[in-house]
Amino acid sequence: MQPTDQLRAQLKQLSDSFRQRLRAELPALRDQAVELASSPDIHSQTLQAMRDHLHKLAGSAGTFGFPELGRHARELEALASRCLQQGYAGDGAQRLADGIARLERLSLEPQQELSLSDEAIPVNCQARCIQVLEANRDLAVRMAQTLESFGYRVQRHADAVSLESALRAQRPDALVLDVSPNGPGQALLPTLAQFQRSWGQPMPLIAVSDDDSFAVQIAAVRAGAQGFFTRPVDLAALENRLERCFGLLHNEPFRIMVVDDDTELAARFATVLTAAGILVETVGEPRQLLQQIESFQPDVIVMDVHMPGHSGPELAQMIRLHDTWLRVPILYLSAETDLGRQMEALVKAGDDFITKPISDSALLTTVFSRAQRARLVSQALARDSLTGLLKHADIKEQVELEVERSQRTHMPVSIAMIDIDHFKLVNDRHGHGVGDNVIRALANLLRQRLRKIDRLGRYGGEEFVAVLPNCNTEDAKAILDNIRKTFQALQFSGSEGSFSCTFSAGVSACQAPEWQTEEVLERADAGLYQAKAQGRNRIVAPQQKQGML
Amino acid sequence: MNELQRVLHIEDDPSIQEIVRIALEIVGGLIVKCCASGPESLEVAESFAPDFILLDVMMPGMDGPQTLRHLRDKPALDRVPIVFMTAKVQPSEIEEYQRMGAAQVITKPFDPMSLPQQVRDIWSQWHAAD
Repeated sequence: MQPTDQLRAQLKQLSDSFRQRLRAELPALRDQAVELASSPDIHSQTLQAMRDHLHKLAGSAGTFGFPELGRHARELEALASRCLQQGYAGDGAQRLADGIARLERLSLEPQQELSLSDEAIPVNCQARCIQVLEANRDLAVRMAQTLESFGYRVQRHADAVSLESALRAQRPDALVLDVSPNGPGQALLPTLAQFQRSWGQPMPLIAVSDDDSFAVQIAAVRAGAQGFFTRPVDLAALENRLERCFGLLHNEPFRIMVVDDDTELAARFATVLTAAGILVETVGEPRQLLQQIESFQPDVIVMDVHMPGHSGPELAQMIRLHDTWLRVPILYLSAETDLGRQMEALVKAGDDFITKPISDSALLTTVFSRAQRARLVSQALARDSLTGLLKHADIKEQVELEVERSQRTHMPVSIAMIDIDHFKLVNDRHGHGVGDNVIRALANLLRQRLRKIDRLGRYGGEEFVAVLPNCNTEDAKAILDNIRKTFQALQFSGSEGSFSCTFSAGVSACQAPEWQTEEVLERADAGLYQAKAQGRNRIVAPQQKQGML
Repeated sequence: MNELQRVLHIEDDPSIQEIVRIALEIVGGLIVKCCASGPESLEVAESFAPDFILLDVMMPGMDGPQTLRHLRDKPALDRVPIVFMTAKVQPSEIEEYQRMGAAQVITKPFDPMSLPQQVRDIWSQWHAAD
C-alpha cells in the first residue's frame, strides 16, 4: 500500500537540497559572526537574526538526517542568547564563529538515512577527527594507523605550535597528547584548559606519558584528560577508551509506558516526557497491557493505582507473572498519601510511589533516574562484560529471530561465525590481559564496521557471531573480508614487543532459492571449521544443500 | 467524531514545509495545505476547513502564539486541535503553550516517518477528551 520507493526518493532529494542550503548559508552566517567579533560595537539586530537562524537549524537538521549538527546548533543558539542578554564582550562572537565553522564541517559529513535505516549502509563511517601530538615518531605513526583502521581521521603534529593553531581553528573530536615532563605537550596544558572552557562541550583528551607521577596526572586532569596511558602504549586499549569517550556504546532513548485511564493526564505526562527525548506509549485499555509491553519493550512502567475494574497492584502482579518483565521497574502514580496503604500496594508488586499532584520536573527526574538504572542493570545482565556485546544465549536467540523473519519476509539474512586464530598462543605468550585487549579490539572493530541493524554477540572465549539481515552470502563475505584485512593490520603491544593477529570466519545464509533451510548456525560453524583447515585467516561460505537429498 | 483528513500546516521554513507535506500526504494519506506565515493562515483557515492545525512557534512577524490567539478567535475552528511544533523545550514552556490553548506540542527535530501517527494519536486523544 505504501509507495516506499517514491517516498525514499523524495526524502533523499529533500535531504540533499537541505545539505545544499547549508553549504550556501553557513559560510554567510560565519562571516556575520566574524564581523561581529571584529567590531567594537554591539549589533544586537544581527545577533538576533543569527540566533533565530540557529534556532531553525536546531529544529530542522535532525529531521533531515543531521542530528549532530542539530545538537551543536542548539548549543550555539543558547550561546547567542547569552550574548544577547549579557553583551558579547570578550570572546562570545569569536566562539560563535568557531562553532559555525564546526557546523560547516558537520554538514559535509555523511548524513544518517532518513528513518529508512533498514536500507543497507555498508560501512558505518563517522570519520571523527583526532589530533595527535606525540614526540616519539614511531609511536605516532603506529597510533595513526591503528586509529585510522578504526575509521577515525587522524592529524599528526610535529610541535605544539602547529597543534595550537589547529585547535584555535577548530575543536577536534578528540586529542591525544604527549604530556611527559619534558614532552612537547607539557607546556600546552594551561592553554588547553582555556580552550576547553571556550568550547561549549569539553573535548576528550587522552594523555600519553612516560611518567605517571601524581603531578603529571593531575595536570592532565586539569586540562580535561579522560584517559591516561603510560608508555609502552597499548593502542587497542587507547582506542577502546576513545570509543567510551564518544559514548558509542548504546544510547538509545528511554522507553516509558504510562498506564492510566485518565487519558488527559496520561497525555500530559507523555508530553512532558517526550519533550525530554523519552519515548512514551500510553495504555488506556488494561486488556491490551501485555501485548503492548511485548511490542514496546519499556524500560519503566508508570501506572495509576486506581483504575475502574482493575487496580494498579493487580496489573503489576500480572506483569510480574512473566519472567521476561521481572527487571522492569513499576512506579505507581497515586493520590494515595497514606503510608500504610502505599506499603500494602508495594508488598504485592511494584517498586515505588509517585504521589499526585507532581510537578513536571519532579516527574521527569523520578522517571529518568529509574530508567537510567533499569537500562544499566539490563545491559549488565544481557551484555558481555568484556566486550559489551550480546551474550551467548541472546545472540543465539537473535539468530533464530532473524532467520524466522527472513523465512517469513523472503529477505535474506547471513550468519557469520568468527574465531581469532591461534588465540591460545596470545594468552600463553603475553598473558590474559593482552589477550583480553585483542578480543576487545575485534569486538570494537566489528561493532564499527557492521551496520546498526546487524546483531553481534560474543559466542565463546574468542568466538563471535554476527547476524546480518538483508544481506546475502556474497555481500557478507565481502564485508567480513574487509574487516579481516583491517584486523590483520592492527598492531598489539605484548610482553615480547608488538604482534598482530588474524581471524577466520564461516558464513551461511538463509536466502533464495532455499528459504526453508535449517541449521544456519551449524553451517556457519562448518564454514569456520573449513576456513581453519584451509590455513586460517580467511572467510569460507559452505555450499547450501539444494532441496532434499 | 468526523474523520481526520485535512491538515493546515503553518511554517516559514520551506524545507520543513516540504517534508511535513510529504510525510503527511504520502505516509499518512492526509490532505495538507501549507502556509508560510501567520497572516496567510488566517486568510485561508476557515475556507480550507482543517481537521487539524500544525503551527510553528518561531516565525518572523506574527509568531506562533500570536497566530494561535487569532485562530482561536475564529468560532469555525473551535473543535480543531492546534498543535505547536518547536525545538526541544522545557516542561514549563509546554505548560505555557497549553495554557494558551495548544492541544499538544510536537518537538523538533521530528521523525518524518512517525509524524503521521503522532498527529493521529493527538487527534484521537483530543476527541476522546471531549
